[in-house]
Amino acid sequence: MNRKKGILRQTASLLSKGWVQYLLALLIIGVTLLFCLSFREGSDYHLVSFILLFVVSLLSTYLGTGPVLLASTMSALAWDYFFIPPHNTFKIDRTDDILIFGLFFVIVVVSGILTTRVRRQEMLARERERKTNALFQLTRELSKASGIGEVVRVATEGISAHFSPESHIILRPSHLIPRKEGELVSYDQLPETELQVAQWVFIHSRKAGVFTDQPMETRYTWYPLTGSRLNPGVVALLQEASFDGEIKTFWEAYMTLISNAIEREFLGEMAQKVRFLDESDRLYKTLFNSISHELRIPVAAIMGASDTIVNTNVSHKVLSALTREIFTASLRLNRLIENLLNMSRIESGHISPRTDWHDINDLINKVTTDLTDELKPFSLRVEIDQEMPLVRLDFGLMEQVLYNLLYNATQYAPATSEVTIRCSYSAGNLNLEVSDQGPGFPEDELKDIFRKFYRIRGSHSGGLGLGLSIVKGFVAAHNGTITAANRSGGGARFTIVIPSEEPDITGWKTPASPE
Amino acid sequence: MTEQENILIIDDENQIRRLLDITLSANGFRTMLTPNGKEGLVMAATHHPGLVILDLGLPDIDGHEVLKKLREWYFKPVIILSVRSAEEEIIRALDHGANDYLTKPFRTGELLARVRAALRTGENKTGEAVIVSGKVNIDLANHVVRKQEEIIKLTSTEFSLLSLLAQNRGRVLTHQFILKEVWGFGYIEQSQYLRVFIAQLRKKLEDDPAKPAMIVTESGIGYRFN
Repeated sequence: MNRKKGILRQTASLLSKGWVQYLLALLIIGVTLLFCLSFREGSDYHLVSFILLFVVSLLSTYLGTGPVLLASTMSALAWDYFFIPPHNTFKIDRTDDILIFGLFFVIVVVSGILTTRVRRQEMLARERERKTNALFQLTRELSKASGIGEVVRVATEGISAHFSPESHIILRPSHLIPRKEGELVSYDQLPETELQVAQWVFIHSRKAGVFTDQPMETRYTWYPLTGSRLNPGVVALLQEASFDGEIKTFWEAYMTLISNAIEREFLGEMAQKVRFLDESDRLYKTLFNSISHELRIPVAAIMGASDTIVNTNVSHKVLSALTREIFTASLRLNRLIENLLNMSRIESGHISPRTDWHDINDLINKVTTDLTDELKPFSLRVEIDQEMPLVRLDFGLMEQVLYNLLYNATQYAPATSEVTIRCSYSAGNLNLEVSDQGPGFPEDELKDIFRKFYRIRGSHSGGLGLGLSIVKGFVAAHNGTITAANRSGGGARFTIVIPSEEPDITGWKTPASPE
Repeated sequence: MTEQENILIIDDENQIRRLLDITLSANGFRTMLTPNGKEGLVMAATHHPGLVILDLGLPDIDGHEVLKKLREWYFKPVIILSVRSAEEEIIRALDHGANDYLTKPFRTGELLARVRAALRTGENKTGEAVIVSGKVNIDLANHVVRKQEEIIKLTSTEFSLLSLLAQNRGRVLTHQFILKEVWGFGYIEQSQYLRVFIAQLRKKLEDDPAKPAMIVTESGIGYRFN
C-alpha cells in the first residue's frame, strides 16, 4: 500500500518538472504515430485523426499547456506528413483535406488548452478545499486543546504542515507562564537577537524580518498575533518565499484562529485568577473574623479568671475552679494554634510526610491518652484486626488526623454514647475508621465538610472549621483518601484508606547477636 | 530526700523560666536560673546541680552546643525543652546524651514526672543486677525475666532489647540508638524489626499490650522503660 503510494508520489513530482512533461508528450505522440503507421495502408486516414485527437485530449488532462501545444502541433503536422495523401510530404492535394487539416489543428489546440484550463480550475478548487479543510481542522483541534502549551503545540504542528517546516510561537507573560511584565516567553531556545526582533514585533504589532519592509537581523519572518482584546504574542516562520495572494489570505486566516485560541486561554486564565483572588479574599476575611473570635474567648476566660484570683480573696474551692477555667482556656488556645500551624503547612504545599514503620496501637494509644479527659464521658471501643501488620506512616501527621476526628466526636456526640476506632489491613491498604453515635451530618452538607472554614449549619459555637480540612490534607499527604458518611443507625463515620505495603521483616532471624 | 535536689534551668524565655521556677520550688526543688548558655555552663560547673533543664533555642549559643560541652564532664540527667514537631532536633539531642525531652507547651504535671524519673535514673545507674517494674522482675545477671514469679521465656534478641531499655530506665532511647545497640550498625534504618520486637515484648510482659505501662512509645522519637 505504502509502496504504491510512494511510487505515485514520485511520479507526480517527476511530472511536475517541465522538461519531463515535454519529453513525455513527444514520446506518447511518437508511439501513437508508430501504432497508426502500422495500418496506414488499408484504412481511412481520417480514423488516424480521431485517434490522435483522442490521445492529445487525454494528454491535456495530465500535462501543462506547453507540452499539450507541442503534442497537438506535432500530431497535426505528423498526420499531414504521414497520412494525408500523398504520403511523406506536407503537401495536401484535396481542398477538403486542407480544411480538415486546419480544423484538426484548431480542435486539437483548443481542446488541449480548454482541458488544461478546466484542470487548473479544478486544481484551484481542490486547493481551496484543502485550505478550508485545514482551517476547519485547526479550529477543531484548537477548541479541543486545553492549556496554553497544548494550543501552542497544535498551532506549531499546523503551521509546519501547511506553511513552514520551522516556526516559533512566543507569548506574553501571564499567570501560568510568569515572567517580568513586558518580557516574552519562548517555548523554544532562540538566540538573543531573535528574541529582540520578537520583542519589537510584539511592541509595534507589525511584521518584521525576511520578506517584510522591516528587514532585521533574523532568519525568520515575524508576525504579530493579534487578538480582539489583547495581543497574545508573536510567531516566527522560516519562509522560502514571500506569502502573496491566496497563500497570504490562507495564512492570515490561520493566524487569526491561532491568535484567538491563545487569547481565549489567556482570558480564561485571567478570569480564573480573578475568581481565585476573590476566593482568597473571602477566605482571608473569614479567617480573620473567626480567628479573632476564637482567640478572644479563651483569652477572656484567662484574663477574667486570673484577675479574680489576683485581686479578690477567693476561697480555695473557687480558686481551684477558676484555675481549671484557665487551664481549659489554654488548652483551647493551644489547639487553635496547632490547627492554624497545620493549616498553613497544608496551604504552603510543603508537607512531605516522614514515614516510618509504626504499630497502629501506638498511634491509637497516644491519641486516646492525650484525649483522656475529653473521652471520659464516652465509652471508647478500639477494634484492631488480629493480623494487623506494621504500617508505614508519618506518626505526627496521623496523630493530628486521629486527634481531630476523635475530638470532633467528643464535641458532637452525646455523653455515654459509644465512640469506635476500627482498624484493619487489606489489599495493601491501612483502613482506619472512626465512628460515633452523634447527630451525623445533614446529607446535603456531606460534600462540604472537608472544606476549610466550613461549619455545619446551626452547629454550636467554637472551632474554626479547620479540623476536618487538616485531616483531609494530612491523609492526602499520605496518598490516602478519607470519606465521611452517616451511619445507618445514626452518627458519623469517617473512613480513611492509606496505602502501606507490608513491612519486610525477613531478615529478623539474623540480627547481630549481642553479648 | 531527692526533693532537695538542685536544678539548673537554662531558658531564654522569661515566662517559661518563671513558671519552671515556681512549679519546681513549690514541689520542693531548689532552682538556679539563667537565660543564656554560656552562663549556664559556668553555673553547672560551679554549683553541680542534680539535673539540668536545657532549652534548645538559646540566643547566645546553640542548645546542642551547650549539651555537648556539658556532657564532656557532667553525667547527671539533662532534660531538653523544645518546640513541638521538631523531632529531628529532639532525636539529635537524645543521641548526644540528653536523658529526656519536653515539648512546649507542656503540662507541669508532665514536667514533674519527667524530672523525678530522671533523678531516679541518676541514682539507679550504678549497675543494678535486678530491675523491677510493676509485676515484672528482670534479673540481668542471670538472664531471667519473671512476671509475678512466673518465668517468661524470651529469645536472646528480646532479652537484649529488654535489658537495654531497663538499664536506661526513665530515659528516652531513640530508635536508631536501640537498633545500633541491639542489632548493630547495619540495621539502624530497619525500624520495622524494632517495632515487631517491641510488640512481642509487650505481648509477653505488659498487662494490657495495647496500653503499655512499662515500655512506653515516645511518638516519632523512641522508647522509654518505666
